[in-house]
Amino acid sequence: MKCYNEQVRRPNARFYWMLFPCLLLAFAFVNGCGNDDETDEHQQNNVEVFEVGTILNNFANTVVLATYANLDAKAGELLTAVKALAADNSQQNLVKAQNAWKATRTPWEQSEAFLFGPVDTQGLDPALDSWPVDSVNLQSVLNSGDTLTIDFVSGLEDTQKGFHTIEFLLFREGNQRQVADITERELKYLVSTTENLKDSTSQLYLAWAPEGENFSSAFSQAGQGSAVYPSQSAALQEIVNGMIVIADEVANGKLSEPYNQSDTTLVESQFSFNSISDFQDNIRGIQNVYLGEVVIDGEGLNEFVNSKEPALDARFQTEVQAAIDAIGAIPHPFRDAITAERGAIQAAIDAVSTVQQTLEQNILPLVQSSEFN
Amino acid sequence: MCTRVISFLWGTAFGVFPEKKVEKNMLAEIETQKMKHLQILLLLMSLMFCTCNSESPVTVESIPVSSSGALSGGETTVFDASSHAFSTPAPNLSAAALDTHLEGDVEFEAVFVTAPAVVNPGLGPIYNNISCINCHVRDGRGRPPRVNEQVVSLLIRLSLPNSESEADMLGKPPIPVPGFGTQLNNRAIFGTPPEGTIEIDYTERSLTTADGMRVHLRTPQYTVKQTYHPLPEGVEMSPRVAPVVFGLGLLEAIPEETILAYADEADVNSDGISGKPNFVWDVVKQKNVLGRFGWKANQPTLLQQVASAYHDDMGITTSLFPIENSAGQPQHTKTMRLQSTPEVSDDILEVVTFYVQTLAVPARRNVDTPQVLQGEQLFAQAQCASCHVPTVRTGVLSGVPAVSNQTIHPYTDMLLHDMGPGLADYRPDFHASGTEWRTPPLWGIGLLKTVNGHSNFLHDGRARNLMEAILWHGGEAEASRQAVERMSQTERNALIAFLESL
Repeated sequence: MKCYNEQVRRPNARFYWMLFPCLLLAFAFVNGCGNDDETDEHQQNNVEVFEVGTILNNFANTVVLATYANLDAKAGELLTAVKALAADNSQQNLVKAQNAWKATRTPWEQSEAFLFGPVDTQGLDPALDSWPVDSVNLQSVLNSGDTLTIDFVSGLEDTQKGFHTIEFLLFREGNQRQVADITERELKYLVSTTENLKDSTSQLYLAWAPEGENFSSAFSQAGQGSAVYPSQSAALQEIVNGMIVIADEVANGKLSEPYNQSDTTLVESQFSFNSISDFQDNIRGIQNVYLGEVVIDGEGLNEFVNSKEPALDARFQTEVQAAIDAIGAIPHPFRDAITAERGAIQAAIDAVSTVQQTLEQNILPLVQSSEFN
Repeated sequence: MCTRVISFLWGTAFGVFPEKKVEKNMLAEIETQKMKHLQILLLLMSLMFCTCNSESPVTVESIPVSSSGALSGGETTVFDASSHAFSTPAPNLSAAALDTHLEGDVEFEAVFVTAPAVVNPGLGPIYNNISCINCHVRDGRGRPPRVNEQVVSLLIRLSLPNSESEADMLGKPPIPVPGFGTQLNNRAIFGTPPEGTIEIDYTERSLTTADGMRVHLRTPQYTVKQTYHPLPEGVEMSPRVAPVVFGLGLLEAIPEETILAYADEADVNSDGISGKPNFVWDVVKQKNVLGRFGWKANQPTLLQQVASAYHDDMGITTSLFPIENSAGQPQHTKTMRLQSTPEVSDDILEVVTFYVQTLAVPARRNVDTPQVLQGEQLFAQAQCASCHVPTVRTGVLSGVPAVSNQTIHPYTDMLLHDMGPGLADYRPDFHASGTEWRTPPLWGIGLLKTVNGHSNFLHDGRARNLMEAILWHGGEAEASRQAVERMSQTERNALIAFLESL
């Protein structure tokens, strides 16, 4: 009953928001009743030991752009593999295409730790990752006499395009699909819809790239003329919210919903059995953002948190790794585990929830309690 | 001292509270003692706050920093200036209410597909979009398509002109166009013809203010093309972008008598501004009641608004609208029997309604900078605040205590106003004439660029920024627009800075 697009589901958010008025009042009280010395102390607190602009710039250029560049490159390889399969429909080429799909899925799932900006405002998240697949419509298209050009396929609904439609065509029950069962029309559709996916990943990369629309500058210019983020606080809040959203989605959506309802139709990437990798990559996306590291290690939020509360930094890094490991400990495939291995899934839910709670209750407040421009 | 404390309080409202020590202790508190204790804490702090200013006790409610304050949504306000500013649950929901809200959130994002299907069947056969969230992206505002884009979050309402005079038409619903109904469904499931496509052409014109500022305005021209069936001559067309969906429960909770008290249909006070309530059909009550939602206030309740969006925009039936939007048209084939069970259950309809009732309103930012304060004054002086009413008190909305009895700053009177020929759609809707529109709330407009990545305003998104939107105002707002045109550049900048703080 859900799509795996951006979803705000934060059971614990209420807690934090209730805290807020209290904090405001608390500060007003302390500051208001105090003497002038406190004003001096307050001014001293303004001096940050590191440059927040570096973190913002690094987030945009080192984390986001690197992830989208990787996504676009992998989508290119997937297109090559799918074309090879269409030219020579051997089982070996099918396996290559399946592997290329999984490889493309990795940077996409990692990018779900920052589902904001052009991916959202340009409708690329639904174009790439709509769920469910409209299989009735897809079958009607395959049964029709229409020529399956890229223009034709691009004009179809998002529920007949993107990752899950390609997955539906390449996989059955994990890797059980036999190449002999794939029709000519399916192969044509596969090539066109993969070309459409590649167009979307290129568009996404260019939307952030300095040589394109340069959405990166919304972060690097935050508080210095950016129309999107008039303050650095807002930009940092965006980054932390992005991590919270995906932690919440994995804990309370992707893992919990099929588990709670024991319903395999709710499982993400159910045709390929790629669910566990998907979920792990979501949390790796959080790790990338937090550490400011994808290909190269730049300054990330960890530097900021460490400068304020070193113990929190250490704890959070441990919690993130523990969540990745706990998801990895779920026996494959996930869709069988929801009924057969419930303890492992509950452990993974708990581990991801811990990540979410630390983000909401410690890291977000820390970001908000610090003065930036 | 009071002023300093208070101004700092609001200055930090955006999300900055630099007393690290206090915050850390508070967080420890929260982890161990939970919600109940927080409320006590809040009370205690309010007391301490008053005590230390014992010579002139101040309560939070009466803080006179700025006439409207930062807490735009009362206790439902959130302090979030990120792209989540419109999509956060109200912070004052109970645990059970939050669960319902989150269930509604999932359904609001549900993507519908062609029946039969295991997950979310029932789409169409003709529709405008395939999920709520696809138009109301991030619970925000839609926009007209850019060059080479498909139409996504804009639709066109249709109706037949009436031979009766406008006076005779008053209070009646729009007349459906045979073969099209009251809305153009420009998309359809595969193999089924959509009703037509929408083409938009813009004509640019420029306007020069008293001090020589040139502003470009674009006038849209809408053409319906590729119709599956000829559209009758003289059909009335009204383009609409998807409006924001946060804060709606608060608007539903405004007492009817409050809204009616703003009305001055005969302009008794001779200020050139009338203000008229719409009265529209309530399918549950089976009678005409006050209209509140939609660009012409043609929906009486959020329940009906949500059900009609499922029905008109996605072709999905509910118990309120059990007959397919395509019924009687060739798109509705014999294989699609008129279903006895609605495609979306009452449970889902209710949680989605609750979801839009309980989305938080984002707090204002920079409320006390001199420029913003000047802009706020200018907003009042130009009589903008006559319709965009800054402060309203909500009453009780049954089943939604979070939005009840709140002091809010929506900047709307919920009434219809003649906006002049420039904005007119000439498509009457119950008591709304072809030139009248409901005053849209202004809360959150300063965050549109952050949330939705655009700054398109007005009912069809023709305005590309706030100044263009202001300069489109005519009719009852003619004098206000002229006042803005007479302002100096500094004053106009202040006015915009104020609007961007909302």
